[in-house]
Amino acid sequence: MSEPILEVTGLGVEFDSRRGNAAVLNDVGFTLAPGETLGLVGESGCGKSMTALAIMRLIPSPPGRITRGAIRFRGEDLLKVSEARMRAIRGKEISMIFQEPMTALNPVYTIGNQIIETIRLHLGLSGNTARTRAIEMLTAVGIPAPDRRIDEYPHQLSGGMRQRVMIAMALVCKPAVLIADEPTTALDVTVQAQILDLLQELQTTTGTAILLITHDMAVVARMADRVVVMYAGRNVEEGGATAVLERPSHPYSRGLIDCLPSIETGERPAYLPEIAGMVPSIWEHQPGCPFASRCSYVMDRCRSDMPPRFRTDAMRRVACWLCGDKVVQ
Amino acid sequence: MSAPLLQVRELKVHFRRRTGWRRSASVVHAVDGVSFVLTRGTAFGLVGESGCGKTTTALALMQLVPVTSGSVELAGIDLTRLSGDALREQRRHLQMVFQDPYSSLNPRERAGNLVRAPLDLMRIDTPRARDERVANLFAAVGLRPEHRFLFPHQFSGGQRQRINIARALATNPALVVCDEPVSALDVAVRAQTLNLLRRLQLEMGLTYFFISHDIAVVAHLCDEVAVMYLGQIVEQAPRRAFFARPLHPYSRALIAAVPSMERGRQTARTRLEGDPPNPLEPPRGCRFAPRCPYAQSICQTTAPPLRAVDGATRAVACHFVDDSGRTLFVPFDHDRADASMADRFAARTIPN
Repeated sequence: MSEPILEVTGLGVEFDSRRGNAAVLNDVGFTLAPGETLGLVGESGCGKSMTALAIMRLIPSPPGRITRGAIRFRGEDLLKVSEARMRAIRGKEISMIFQEPMTALNPVYTIGNQIIETIRLHLGLSGNTARTRAIEMLTAVGIPAPDRRIDEYPHQLSGGMRQRVMIAMALVCKPAVLIADEPTTALDVTVQAQILDLLQELQTTTGTAILLITHDMAVVARMADRVVVMYAGRNVEEGGATAVLERPSHPYSRGLIDCLPSIETGERPAYLPEIAGMVPSIWEHQPGCPFASRCSYVMDRCRSDMPPRFRTDAMRRVACWLCGDKVVQ
Repeated sequence: MSAPLLQVRELKVHFRRRTGWRRSASVVHAVDGVSFVLTRGTAFGLVGESGCGKTTTALALMQLVPVTSGSVELAGIDLTRLSGDALREQRRHLQMVFQDPYSSLNPRERAGNLVRAPLDLMRIDTPRARDERVANLFAAVGLRPEHRFLFPHQFSGGQRQRINIARALATNPALVVCDEPVSALDVAVRAQTLNLLRRLQLEMGLTYFFISHDIAVVAHLCDEVAVMYLGQIVEQAPRRAFFARPLHPYSRALIAAVPSMERGRQTARTRLEGDPPNPLEPPRGCRFAPRCPYAQSICQTTAPPLRAVDGATRAVACHFVDDSGRTLFVPFDHDRADASMADRFAARTIPN
């Protein structure tokens, strides 16, 4: 395995609020190798998007605060670099696409304007060269009649087309890392398939590593090489995508996989297996495993001691006491 | 087989739209001749992409948009001919759950009042009995009694959808129209909500008209599946027959687009390019022809009618499906690929 391009270790983020300190991220850590796709999966509120914002250093502060950990990009700790350096990295080396393409694009500028801004700032091109580059990029993301579309406003495009524009903007500088935060959640399934295909095709030509944030295990199955399952601000399982999806070790990963309705079975179950209960509140600091209250395999130890990340095979790490006896040294 | 609860015939909803100053009005064919029957106690699923007319169909059933032509008969009464009090009286029997759990609840009303509102408006029961009914509804959808006194913003998305469901069930309707009730929810909460809908259906004998763009959700909940494209139904079949062997190329594309755990990284065989065409000027022939991988010259000129195939067990609108339900697509290699998938289904459905 090659040297990781992005390495997140022990990341913790807190927010001040009227109800006290909210620990949004407790202990998040993973690595991203060049050219690979890492799926970051979990329910709403588990800290997926917050991890992405922390990497981009976009957490509003105050009230937010990165309390500990490190984010190393090509060996450089992004939490320590200057704002000017961060601006040079953001959009050029690491870029991001968001869930809702309508709110992520500026409605009062043409899409061409918005793409060309990135090109001018990071690639130093101007005038017609920048415009030509933008049209090439729109062609690459499959927008028909790009020389006409470039002068249109976001509201003139469909949801799928807008997401293509976002991708064009994010990839125009051939970034080393692309953070895709629920890129297809707001889209129809048919358009989702197109966008996922597009991301994969572009990845093979640019060699960009993708951090794919999603709550849908099926999207992970379709896209990711490796997967990190997050729960309550920490990663509970990490491993090769196929291995985790076929044999999840953590009860939470299992639950996320089982609760998907499937079209591939002839006999349907009357009810879907569900994960009982709800995500714990970010204001409550309880000892032990955060999943204990919803877990069907819960033991006494789970309620008092936080399980460390056990390494169960070469790639797999699982934060569950059930895996404590399967540790590989 | 019990009697049909709802019979929809040749339903059309057209909107007139002015595209600019002094230009003549154009007509959006949002729903263009849709017919189907809902059997009591079953769930009917309508799938299709955004803008295909699913939601307009639902609103037309509820008589919430002006119906251009056609009829909607609920237990033998044509709703399109009713108005005023007579229509309100019938609305007791059909209620709706909306897609967005955030915008469909009044933020200034307490949850209990939201659920009670339909009872007050339709003057059902005595005021005291209404309180009791609200309490029972909260219990039925898995909310705690004290939740009645909270405001919508104090609930999570899943809980709000439960309030929506409780409100829809308040008048004890026979038919519940669900417009993408789980699309805005996370996978884990989605499973809980689907299970709730199933449990309520079994306990209360509800009939669902269920709309979704996610065919997997429909596969789980529905007994009958209809696929809609640009204002028309292109295929309708019982759930099992549909998923074992979808006939229309569009149905196949929809199924292929769903990412699944089983297929994993395998890319879909039938990729659907582009967006649906403009409902202002639908294509002259088959509406799906511009995106169809199997389209021939006849598809460009002649619109295929929705016709019964395979011993009238299902219906499809495609020139290249024969009366016994065999597909005659050219090129055939695509078909062979699909056939192997059908074999896999067949292998799994054989009873032991």
